[in-house]
Amino acid sequence: MKITDAAVCPYPNGDSSVRRFALEAAALGFDSLVAFDTPSATYGDVEVRRGLFIQNAGMKDVIAQVKRVNDPLTVVSVKAGDAGFNRGVVGYRGVHILRGIHTAEKNAFDHVTAKMAADNRVAVDIDLSCLISARGIARQKAVQRYRDLLVLEQRFEFPLTLSTYARSVLDLRAVREISGLCTILGMDLPDVEKALAGVGAVTALPEPAVKVV
Amino acid sequence: MAVRPPTLRDKRRYLLVRVDPPGTPIDQKELYYAVSDAVSSLWGDAVAGVIVQAVICAEGDYVVIRCRRGTERELAIALSTVTRLRDTKIALRIISASGTIESLRDRMKPLPPSQGAVPEYRFGGKEYVSVHCDGQKVDVIEKGFKNTSRLFLTTEDMETE
Repeated sequence: MKITDAAVCPYPNGDSSVRRFALEAAALGFDSLVAFDTPSATYGDVEVRRGLFIQNAGMKDVIAQVKRVNDPLTVVSVKAGDAGFNRGVVGYRGVHILRGIHTAEKNAFDHVTAKMAADNRVAVDIDLSCLISARGIARQKAVQRYRDLLVLEQRFEFPLTLSTYARSVLDLRAVREISGLCTILGMDLPDVEKALAGVGAVTALPEPAVKVV
Repeated sequence: MAVRPPTLRDKRRYLLVRVDPPGTPIDQKELYYAVSDAVSSLWGDAVAGVIVQAVICAEGDYVVIRCRRGTERELAIALSTVTRLRDTKIALRIISASGTIESLRDRMKPLPPSQGAVPEYRFGGKEYVSVHCDGQKVDVIEKGFKNTSRLFLTTEDMETE
């Protein structure tokens, strides 16, 4: 099980180089990172995987961009939209993570999408940056949406991932701090461990339905 | 007012916290306001009244923060939501918790002094001046007076340029 931060934004999108992210992440207890627009590599003990984040795109653009991915280590994530778009994304092979649920419409992720996500092993991301840096109503809304999402997760058992969206090493949080923040959402320690290993779970090759002996 | 006997006093716990980035000037009062704001924003005034947080001392890059015994977890979670000290971006890294300040003092390690051997770097086609160097980690700011935002790099990043 690899403890992974599912989204960081290194230089030039942020103020820290990917090597520095890897150094700090190792000190904070992470085994791997998903870094946007950065080639996959391993720095020390930390594996950095390339992250492709598709946002503000229609379904056609999503399909075109997913088809262009040729690195098997790339983690493809798509920003959530309305209910129809989310169903389409979750049902499309090659998409690993659905992000930004807290900014989408209230019923954009319903029980049907949840069932599809569980069947197709597509993870739903929990963005911790809105718990860390937001205040007041913005944070309250995010907590409300994620608690609602966790109700569906307990029923349908689709994978979850946890992201800090760190643009700086100062935005990274230790694994223990992340566990603490997740208790606000009603997650217990096994749930957090499972979510931290979510990237590995959705990118691993599925076990074949039939085993030839 | 007479001082309460020890058995009637509140039990306290102390958290040792490191302030990142290293070398950030820490004003105890400002930090207290930042922590108070984080605690009351996250847990509400009622729980903040139970936690009774206070910044006890700031020595170098380390700060000791006090809370009531049994509320360390709530305080630690609130501390992870502190992102700014006035206009400076910071992160509070919790090192340890203890019942006495003395035992926390033993855990305060003075950071190694910045190695000023190569004070100027090139990265991304620009000139940078080192502001802190600790092992592989190098914090730099762009040369000149206009842009003073820090970049967090490593020595290997410099070598590749």
